[in-house]
Amino acid sequence: MKGVSYLLLYVPICLVVMLVLEACRSDNPARIVRRSFSNFGMLTLVLVVGGALVWTINRWL
Amino acid sequence: MISVREAQFVALAVAFVVVVVTVSAKKSERIRGLAVLLAWLVPGAGHVLLGRWRKGLFFFSILSATYVFGLWIVGFKAISWDDNPFYYVGQWGSGATFAAAQLLSLQKPYPREGIPPSWFDPGLLYVCVVGLLNLVVVINVLEVKRSPAGAPAAPPAPGASDPPPAAPAPPEARA
Repeated sequence: MKGVSYLLLYVPICLVVMLVLEACRSDNPARIVRRSFSNFGMLTLVLVVGGALVWTINRWL
Repeated sequence: MISVREAQFVALAVAFVVVVVTVSAKKSERIRGLAVLLAWLVPGAGHVLLGRWRKGLFFFSILSATYVFGLWIVGFKAISWDDNPFYYVGQWGSGATFAAAQLLSLQKPYPREGIPPSWFDPGLLYVCVVGLLNLVVVINVLEVKRSPAGAPAAPPAPGASDPPPAAPAPPEARA
């Protein structure tokens, strides 16, 4: 697990990307923030589940 | 690092496009073209020119903060063509980051002391992503409606997305 701290940098850059993309779509700040966090959560969930699946396959199969 | 001749070619090409658009376009299109150029030069400046100053300030603050944070990680040395061509070209998405890359990429980037070395690549990625995100903002300038300075965006007309009401049935159908 050495050097895995760089994964922390995923959070701010991903939030910045989501915020800019949503700000291009909408003018409502509350909607921009809500949808950005919602998309960020969904993307993170997909990545975590995918990573867990790959880890499981490599570990047990 | 591009040569002086390449820089002159790029400057001439940009000047040619500006002159052609200025001569041939209508006034509203000229303002939008200027907004696109400004949006490329400085993130958010195009939205400010079109009266969307809140959104322009938002884009400027969030993109510049991300860019400075990425530069801070890599020791304020922007990436050059020799280090990574893909990350280098990514900085062309904004005139500000492009200019900084030309000025700062004379020395190789290095991981800042006290920062884990594994953060180096993500730091370069931050710098590149800001340029790419600014391209999205530039494209958004083409779509945004112009509003007077300081005025909020006009809300959509009520029922604009609703289907039109059905026409009354003809008399013979009712009979």
